[in-house]
Amino acid sequence: MVILGIETSCDETSAAVVSAGDVRSNVVSSQAELHARFGGVVPEVASRRHLELVSYVVRDALGAAAARLDDVEVVAVTTGPGLIGALLVGVAAAKGIAFGRRLPLAPVDHLHGHVAALYLQPEPLEPPFLCLLASGGHTLLLDVRERAGFRRIGTTIDDAAGEAFDKGARLLGLGYPGGAALDRLAHEGDPEAYAFPVARVPGFDFSFSGLKTALLCAVRDLATDELERRRADLAASYQRAIVRALVGRTLEAAEATGAERIAVVGGVAANSELRASIPGAALAPLPLCTDNAAMIASAARFVEALPYPEYLALDAHA
Amino acid sequence: MLILGFDTATDVASTALVREGELLGERRSRAVGVLRDAHELLAAAGAEPGDLDALVVGTGPGSFTGIRIGLATARGLALSLGLPVAGVSTLDALAAGAPGTVPVIDARRREVFALLDEPRCVRPEELELAPGTRCVGDGALRYRAVLEAAGAEVPAAESELHVPRAQLHAALARDFGPAEAVEPIYLRVPDAERAAAR
Ligand SMILES: [Zn+2]
Repeated sequence: MVILGIETSCDETSAAVVSAGDVRSNVVSSQAELHARFGGVVPEVASRRHLELVSYVVRDALGAAAARLDDVEVVAVTTGPGLIGALLVGVAAAKGIAFGRRLPLAPVDHLHGHVAALYLQPEPLEPPFLCLLASGGHTLLLDVRERAGFRRIGTTIDDAAGEAFDKGARLLGLGYPGGAALDRLAHEGDPEAYAFPVARVPGFDFSFSGLKTALLCAVRDLATDELERRRADLAASYQRAIVRALVGRTLEAAEATGAERIAVVGGVAANSELRASIPGAALAPLPLCTDNAAMIASAARFVEALPYPEYLALDAHA
Repeated sequence: MLILGFDTATDVASTALVREGELLGERRSRAVGVLRDAHELLAAAGAEPGDLDALVVGTGPGSFTGIRIGLATARGLALSLGLPVAGVSTLDALAAGAPGTVPVIDARRREVFALLDEPRCVRPEELELAPGTRCVGDGALRYRAVLEAAGAEVPAAESELHVPRAQLHAALARDFGPAEAVEPIYLRVPDAERAAAR
């Protein structure tokens, strides 16, 4: 089955063509530079950009897959969760495309999409497994027993892990989004130099806001030249604390659910220390970890598509 | 020539199907419902999406999200069927439905979008209106007291003149071309950009 996927839930405008679990194309237009000067994603700015880009990324995705619209059998689109104004651009465009050709339309949950990145070729993962989904918007522990869905067993009670990385990077003067820069800087520092607290919250939940405050205090206590000298140590210690929290909870959850496999998805899966800290974990390739439409098309294989014309008043949800 | 027109810039979304200038039907809903209306209009006319020859879409000003729903729908549908698209300003369509009036659309935050010499975003108190000027649109209704105090007249709330009607968009459409060439009329930069410019 040839599926055209569309994803516009945050700051990546993306379209992809997936057939039989093969990614034939996955075009992602990142808006990160557009939002850099604001220090974070601005919903109205993101939504405007999605409208400018959405039909171009669809054309590019079809072109890169050497596919025509005639070949497409299902249109899949993220309907939530995400920025509502951003989601609505993708949903409206997807409905227009599907309506024109009387195609079925599959509404896809963004989180299911992240997990479904693991079901793509060349090494599709078979449930059951425990999945850590860590990104700029989410930090979740998911018990995955079937490809059609998952059970949520833990989440963050404040900041997402990716958000903690970005905020830490900003405190260390690394710009936005700074997760990758923090990762690089951490390689030059001593991860045990500072003992940043990892909040223990009940169940399988996470909390990162105290950690961010601890870094802020540490930075504030240092004179400018001293800060310059200790920046790598701060980055390494801060990263160690986030990774320790993620890995600790993930292993606890895996034990509690009896999961034999662990998978890590979401943009934070790019973090080198996290990747090294869960040996044997299934990791989707990086372009499929950050927000993209191939994962949305992948999830669409396991949800029921709405036949024409049942989706014509479909809405998005934040 | 079978034309589908729609405008989703305001709370009342309008969809119309027009053949050779003759109105086949017009419906009202919310922005997310325009394609359902389009489907029903086509069905009533014994046609299907593939029979469409062109699209006309309202470009605002109005709700940013609403405008984008309309334009994204038009871009998706145009891409799907290879259709040319024309954009018509929501203010122009309102003016066409009520000749001689000043259309006024609610811009939230105690401002309105009004068609004076050109489309503008102003506070309702700042509108300079000749005595007896008639104002239409959801902004005219919301700020009726302000406008009437300034000497303007606002038709009764039930009047058809206050809502954009897609058949008027279809009638006003002139330049059909690529969907991406039809741009939204926001008239207001995002808050974050305004703050960053300071
Ligand atoms: Zn995501």
